[in-house]
Amino acid sequence: MPDARIPDPLDRLLTDYFRPEAAPPGLTRRVVAVARKSEADFLRLERSLAIQATPRGVCLIRAGRLEEPVTAAARRLAEQAREEIHEYLRGARAFFGVSVDLSTVPDFQRRVLEAARQIPFGEARPYAWVAEQIGRPRAARAVGTALARNPVPLIVPCHRVWRSDGGLGGYLFGTDVKSRLLALERGTPVLEGCATTRIVCRVGCVHGRHMRPENRVIFASVEDARSVGYRPCRVCRPAA
Amino acid sequence: MERDRSLMERVRRGDEAAFTELARRYAARLLAVAGRLLGSRADAEDAVQRALLHCYSGAAGYNPRWAVSTWVYRILTNICVDELRRRATRTAYDQRAGAGAVAAGSANHRPPGAYLDLHRALERVPREARLLLALRYVNGLSYGELARIRGISVNTVKSQLARGKSLLRAELGKRGAGHA
Repeated sequence: MPDARIPDPLDRLLTDYFRPEAAPPGLTRRVVAVARKSEADFLRLERSLAIQATPRGVCLIRAGRLEEPVTAAARRLAEQAREEIHEYLRGARAFFGVSVDLSTVPDFQRRVLEAARQIPFGEARPYAWVAEQIGRPRAARAVGTALARNPVPLIVPCHRVWRSDGGLGGYLFGTDVKSRLLALERGTPVLEGCATTRIVCRVGCVHGRHMRPENRVIFASVEDARSVGYRPCRVCRPAA
Repeated sequence: MERDRSLMERVRRGDEAAFTELARRYAARLLAVAGRLLGSRADAEDAVQRALLHCYSGAAGYNPRWAVSTWVYRILTNICVDELRRRATRTAYDQRAGAGAVAAGSANHRPPGAYLDLHRALERVPREARLLLALRYVNGLSYGELARIRGISVNTVKSQLARGKSLLRAELGKRGAGHA
């Protein structure tokens, strides 16, 4: 440690470098305006959702009404999906753990949907990117159709696929919801650590549910978390 | 600090005037931290705006045992860190796409003027240590406060700061910047 009595030139340099900057005028006014507007944004969407599942996974999500799942296992999965969607829309979940059942979906469409699932949380990719992923680079239009018929929206994130020119493309629940979903994901952190257990989880992991808000610390990568003494969770495996 | 706390009590009850005052007190320092961490002024303003929004609408989550500054900085750093994570993902995609895209993070870095050497040296410091340096030097936060903000022990704070500074010294030395 440097001697505290002798002023350290590096200290002075750093203090200078990090000096406060004037805030732009109207900043707080804008914040208050946004706060008033953004309440209860997704409530209506969530209430309208019906979820159908087989014992192997969620197979259909639609606005409106669907038949109840028949077996107990299927009911449990539908219930889990509903809970995860609820957390997701509140910005408390950055991944879906519930399994999906795409066994009745045609082969081409299934590959499109699997490719869409590879898009990271909070990111957007063009239709052409998906086409390339499945080895059909000229099939961007067919990709669009396949995504439009996504049986399990939200969980299979077709809302993360946009047009190459930045245009929204279409969406089952309307393009307004599509852009709001992406904004929601951009505001939702992905890796959180607990200050008491020193464990880092993906946001939405069961561990996070028991975490008090004052113990929540966000990390940019598992490596960063490790550098200050956190270890990855063994349940949600954030490194994978 | 006591006055910060009573202000926060009013924000919790939804008092807009109290919130405006709180924002006025912190905005400049929050902008400095966010600006130095994220590089661009626009991103920094966006992060600060989101942090303040969180302070306002999430005021109920404030624990009065904490200093208000600790709470506010925790919210801001959480947001900045997540932004950095997103950038890393996006950069990886841009590079794979190979469209000659420059890393989104470094493309819009503000020219740091007289601090170019320090700016570059800081980029070599691991992210968590850089974060602690920014918080320490913007506001002179104590080791205890830094520890609470990042959810780590005081000893980790000290070792990270020391490591960060020794890396900076080594980097600046290499560049022959005029300092002892």
